[in-house]
Amino acid sequence: MSEPSPALAAANVGKSFGGTAALDDFSMSIAAGEVRALVGGNGSGKSTFIKILSGYHKPEPGARIVIGGSPLNTGDPASSRRVGARFVHQELGLVDEETVLDNLAVANGYPTLGGTVRGKAARRAASATLARVGLDIDPRVKLGQLTAAEKTGVALARTLDGISTGQVKLLVLDEPTATLPAAEVRQVLQMVHTVADQGIGVLYVTHRLDEIFQLGATVTILRNGRHVADGSSQQMTRADLVNYLVGSEFEDARDEADHTERIGSKVAFEVSHLRSGQLDDVSFSVAGGEIVGISGVTGSGRESIAGTLFGRERPDAGEVRANGQVIRGGRPDESIRLGIAFLPADRKRESGLMDLSARENLTVSSLREFWRIPVLLRRRERAETQRWFERLGIRPASGWELPMTGLSGGNQQKVLVAKWLRLNPSVLLLDEPTQGVDVGAKAEIHHQILTAASSGAAVVVASTDIDELVAICHRILILRQGQVAAEVAGAQMTVAAVTKQTLTSDGSALQLMSEVKG
Amino acid sequence: MNRMKFRIRFGLDRFSGLYLWAVFIIMFTIWTPLFFTTSTLHSIASGQAVAGILTIGLLIPLVAGVFDLSVGATANVSAIAAIQLQTLHHVSIPLAIVLSVALGAVIGAVNGFLVVVLKINSFIATLAMGSVLAALLTIFTNNEQPAPPSSAAWTRLTELQVGGFQIVFVYFLVIAIIAWWALEHTPAGRYLHVIGSNNEAARLSGVRVGKWIWISLIASGTISAIAGVAFASLLGPSLTFGPSLLLPAFAAAFLGSTQLQPGRFNVWGSVIAIYVLATGIQGFQFVTGVQWLSDMFNGVALIVAVAFAVWRHRATANRRGPRNRSAPAAGDPDDPSSDASTAAESPSRAALSPSE
Repeated sequence: MSEPSPALAAANVGKSFGGTAALDDFSMSIAAGEVRALVGGNGSGKSTFIKILSGYHKPEPGARIVIGGSPLNTGDPASSRRVGARFVHQELGLVDEETVLDNLAVANGYPTLGGTVRGKAARRAASATLARVGLDIDPRVKLGQLTAAEKTGVALARTLDGISTGQVKLLVLDEPTATLPAAEVRQVLQMVHTVADQGIGVLYVTHRLDEIFQLGATVTILRNGRHVADGSSQQMTRADLVNYLVGSEFEDARDEADHTERIGSKVAFEVSHLRSGQLDDVSFSVAGGEIVGISGVTGSGRESIAGTLFGRERPDAGEVRANGQVIRGGRPDESIRLGIAFLPADRKRESGLMDLSARENLTVSSLREFWRIPVLLRRRERAETQRWFERLGIRPASGWELPMTGLSGGNQQKVLVAKWLRLNPSVLLLDEPTQGVDVGAKAEIHHQILTAASSGAAVVVASTDIDELVAICHRILILRQGQVAAEVAGAQMTVAAVTKQTLTSDGSALQLMSEVKG
Repeated sequence: MNRMKFRIRFGLDRFSGLYLWAVFIIMFTIWTPLFFTTSTLHSIASGQAVAGILTIGLLIPLVAGVFDLSVGATANVSAIAAIQLQTLHHVSIPLAIVLSVALGAVIGAVNGFLVVVLKINSFIATLAMGSVLAALLTIFTNNEQPAPPSSAAWTRLTELQVGGFQIVFVYFLVIAIIAWWALEHTPAGRYLHVIGSNNEAARLSGVRVGKWIWISLIASGTISAIAGVAFASLLGPSLTFGPSLLLPAFAAAFLGSTQLQPGRFNVWGSVIAIYVLATGIQGFQFVTGVQWLSDMFNGVALIVAVAFAVWRHRATANRRGPRNRSAPAAGDPDDPSSDASTAAESPSRAALSPSE
């Protein structure tokens, strides 16, 4: 009856996917009312842990997870909700066109009288809910009119709302500030504290190191699925954190990159004052044979830059030139004709033809080669596909007639990489080229990128995987708020340095200026 | 266990239409002496030719994931145009045919404009176009069925006997062969399949999505008009036949997509579907003599075909799901935005995203 039970007590949590441990014997606990930051790079196991807490993944036997004193029946989302765990994801799941009130009520219901919504009561309830996160806004305004931080607040309030009030023990926030400007981050952090003060444990996942210090929270660091360190932000320095986060992988690729001769220094690709969507006045150039990496947190423009350079839409302003010729944008077929290749990040939605065969995926961008009136020469198509299957070691070895869904993620990606390499592009734009692929495929794709560069292609790689960028790139541009905030090359180009530059959100004058403008 | 079962059924389901066809033929042969005769064969073959041509027209945009609900109305307008050009304007038969088929192409081009340039959903655009065409038909005919042309050459155009079959059946086969060649053996056909598979991926691969969709709608308009002219020659002027052929055409196209190359709209699968349905309808008609069979058959067939396609899609996704999920996870389990499907399937996220 004295101490409240801890918000979270997790012990011996492990999870493997296909023999690779994503999370290995991980334990952590969070007291009621505590805010705990969970940090780690890509592949560190953060998301896996959250998905275990939400009941989406079932951990290996032996794991014991207790939330607010009640054991979690692992692998059961309903149980996760019952014991009092709530989740706010980066995509808040709110509807801009609806009012705050309706956004809250969608999840938790309206107070009704004989089937009719009781408007006044509903508004009162909504205001009370918003007050729980310290928000004082009229629930009748459209969500779209709120600032990003206020929207996050509404999403937070929604998890605390309704019939379930009083039961919430643990609130998990998955990178809630990833797309917010620095000024609004403070407001979100305040709301997080307001929630924690009500006795709710908060697990706060973030990529931004600055926030950990602003949050004044305790920190748990994960690397490669293992618990590396615990500490309080008072005792740790930023350098400590970075050291804990960074491992040493990709040595082979780095080695290969170092020994690859760079031919030619002619500028093959030129970007000047480009503005489009998130990008706000970006200029740089890439020489033939050069590999330039783009790093940046989500929301910095990193996730859209490769597509914008390709000209998937017409840019708002500025110019992109490949081999001296201007790319108009909005006409991918023209971009391809100018020798540009673009591999999108989202395989299923933008890149792969998932229900068509590997052969059809591989040849789609250059079908004319196989067209001899009156028919497409399928045998020649097959021979070409077979050649690329061998070259990239795509499995199953004779699976070229299989639909893409019949291949593993890594092999799907290899097919799509091959599709573009076939065209011998002079500019190769890659967005998250090894996202969601296994280690073997990753190494092969890196090898292919290096080979393409060494035969003269200008390569741009946008990636959240900083280890990957450091391993294969000649230099790395760091994006913040849609602008190139820093460039790292040569001996300075270490994972630690790039990580620090990428995650810093208030260190640069450039960024401060853009905030003042915005 | 499950996997094995699925594979065996897989082999059967590709050809299930052919098996069902055989069952129909054997069953009705035993049931009634009227059924197994050459005249039944000839009448089913030619009787379905117009519906078959219309199905081919529908199939072409459908491959690209675009609906053309105006095929029936287009056929009807072209049929009446072909007749009125001859009877009212005294145009020669060949010119009347050319003009009314060209009219179909123009209707298809307008559909293309609505879908590609105005970006109206194809389902809505062509549904509305069907209604507009019905209105035009009433305007030009005063809602009175025009008299058929008197020349024997006009009816001979489709009724000429070739090896016991009416020549309209040959037209159907020729159009089917051309469509099969275009869809399966030319870059144009491949592009339509690619667009149907993933519109945005197609665009980013350099496929001119708008252009090909436009072309596919012109093709469907043109072929529908041919179907209309064939109908007018074969059975005379009618103000209502077109829309009544729309549903059977859809039933055949969707049923066809479960045959031969399951999951892919294909010409020969659709041809088989047309004749399996027609054989069943004809047989039951001999036995029972009731009038509602064909509506019932086509409706049920469309429901079954689509339900089957959905089920198959899900079964395939489930079968492959775990494998796909584990493979990317092995390399990069933690990537926040790594796997679209994982994110979409995540129950917590789905619950949080009413907008999706």
